[in-house]
Amino acid sequence: MSIIKTSGIHKTYNPSTIPVHALNGVDIDIQEGEFTAIVGPSGSGKTTLLNIIGGLDRPSEGTIEVGGVDISHLNDNKLIEFRKNNIGFVFQAYNLIPVLTARENVEFVMLLQNRDTDEREARTTELLNAVGLSDKMDNRPSQLSGGQQQRVAVARALAPKPRFILADEPTANLDSKSTADLLDLMAKLNKEENITFVFSTHDQRVIDRARRIITLVDGKIDSDIRQN
Amino acid sequence: MIFKIAWRNIWRSRTRSLVVIGAIIIGVWGVIFLVSFSTGMIKSYIDNAIRNEISHIQIHQPEFLEDREVKYPLEQGPAIANTVSDMPGVEAVAMRTLSNAMISTSNGARGIVARGIDPTAEAKLTLLNEKVIEGEYLSEKGRNPILISKTLADKMGVKLRSKVVLTLQDLEGNVINGAFRIVGLYETSNSGADETNVYLRANNLSDLVNQKELVHEVAIYLNDLNLVDTTVTQLKQAFPGTTVQGYAEISPEINLFNSQIKVSSTIFTVIVMLALIFGIINTMLMAVLERLRELGMLMSIGMNKVRVFMMIVLETLLLGLIAAPLGLLFGYTTVQSLGESGIDLSNWSEGMRQFGISEVIYPYLENQLYTQLALSVLFTAILASIYPALKAIRLNPVEAIRSL
Repeated sequence: MSIIKTSGIHKTYNPSTIPVHALNGVDIDIQEGEFTAIVGPSGSGKTTLLNIIGGLDRPSEGTIEVGGVDISHLNDNKLIEFRKNNIGFVFQAYNLIPVLTARENVEFVMLLQNRDTDEREARTTELLNAVGLSDKMDNRPSQLSGGQQQRVAVARALAPKPRFILADEPTANLDSKSTADLLDLMAKLNKEENITFVFSTHDQRVIDRARRIITLVDGKIDSDIRQN
Repeated sequence: MIFKIAWRNIWRSRTRSLVVIGAIIIGVWGVIFLVSFSTGMIKSYIDNAIRNEISHIQIHQPEFLEDREVKYPLEQGPAIANTVSDMPGVEAVAMRTLSNAMISTSNGARGIVARGIDPTAEAKLTLLNEKVIEGEYLSEKGRNPILISKTLADKMGVKLRSKVVLTLQDLEGNVINGAFRIVGLYETSNSGADETNVYLRANNLSDLVNQKELVHEVAIYLNDLNLVDTTVTQLKQAFPGTTVQGYAEISPEINLFNSQIKVSSTIFTVIVMLALIFGIINTMLMAVLERLRELGMLMSIGMNKVRVFMMIVLETLLLGLIAAPLGLLFGYTTVQSLGESGIDLSNWSEGMRQFGISEVIYPYLENQLYTQLALSVLFTAILASIYPALKAIRLNPVEAIRSL
């Protein structure tokens, strides 16, 4: 089942002054349960593509469907609603809320969805257990290592039961051990719970673990390879 | 959870928040102190004017008020005084015989108002006996005693036991005069009035103008300022053909001062609140600009603009909610404490006496002003939060999340 489908995506920055063509007609179709890495050299357009898929940015041309819904023409408020309920984000710099504990960070996104207290608490515990942080639930981000913070970020991304998770360079700030642990965690979630992951990455360790690798060069798909 | 985030965000930059809280506390305290001080000063003027001079209510013959001539007595004076003394809320009543006059000594002459009084009734009404600083208060003893102020005595070059001559007109307009001996020197908190008013026994003044029991004025002091309007209405109905005036009508500057307090308090409050607005905007703007990445993340994961806006407003409001009660508490304590002990301005008493203000000021603030001030601070905080909150919701999540 197709979960993300883009058709003829173009993105041009500064169209009226010095135009920069970040994407030049990208067509991709990502199926539910895929573990996909979007790779490419700097300036190839992978972050722009990820932002557009995540509903954080709009294409200059083309359409993007997430779960059959065309999100390229949703207004700001509907787009925020859509992101909240359908997409989980994992950022390069973790971006946890520093004044909240690990538990509260995970719970917060469900609060935005107006889930009831019992459900929030149960799912928060379940997710933090799943990412191996059951003993760090009441720690604030400043009391956690980079790897632990990124695990909390994965738990937070999973909390709203999204259709897929977008991870922008998720291992860029992690050491080898933390990177391996995080990739193991995401691979396990993908395999056992059929969660769809889409990464943008430079990291060969991530690329090695991906089952599909889409390579962008100059805003176009250069290759789209599936590997076991 | 948004409340929790807002509350904890305040303490992320503890020093900065404490500076803003401190500024609000000082601002609120400053408003309370200055408004209470100026209110106390004006209240002192009004209280002194009412207590020493005009009383709460005065009753005259209508023609007397036009010319203030001795030939327009209040015929029903004694009857009015008798009736009024039995009315509820009346603390003291006194009748006066009044005449413009000239006081002469070997050193010169000055225009004054001769106030013929019943010493006992006047003592209850204006506490004049307590203001005698040399010699003694008027009594039934002696022949033609007169009480003049220390200020007037100094200007006339006379002292206790000196003889002075009063020259005035009788009922027919003939010029008459009488000799009086100074038995006492008084001093009130209004040096201007002190220079003008001399006191003698009413019967002495009546005798001088060859009239038995001449009354021009009935003055009434009530035990509650709020009773003035209703008492004036009752007296007008009871004594038609007379002019019954409340203190504000007798002395219109009292209303002027009262409204001046309100205007200057409002202006001062607005100035302080404006200063606070800029301080708070600056702080909250810094708080927003420091958290661009976090705000971008919150919007990315689905926090809508209304919630982001409310979070910033809530943070600002919490600063106000912490600071305002403390400022009010410090202000209240200051007013209560100084309201008891007073602020001694005796170094400047001469200048203040010219305006009828006591040398010790007792700061005073009506309770409703505390409420108004609390609401002003909260309104200011909300107003100050709007710009930073708008700045926050106008962020582009993609750009914000990549900011350093």
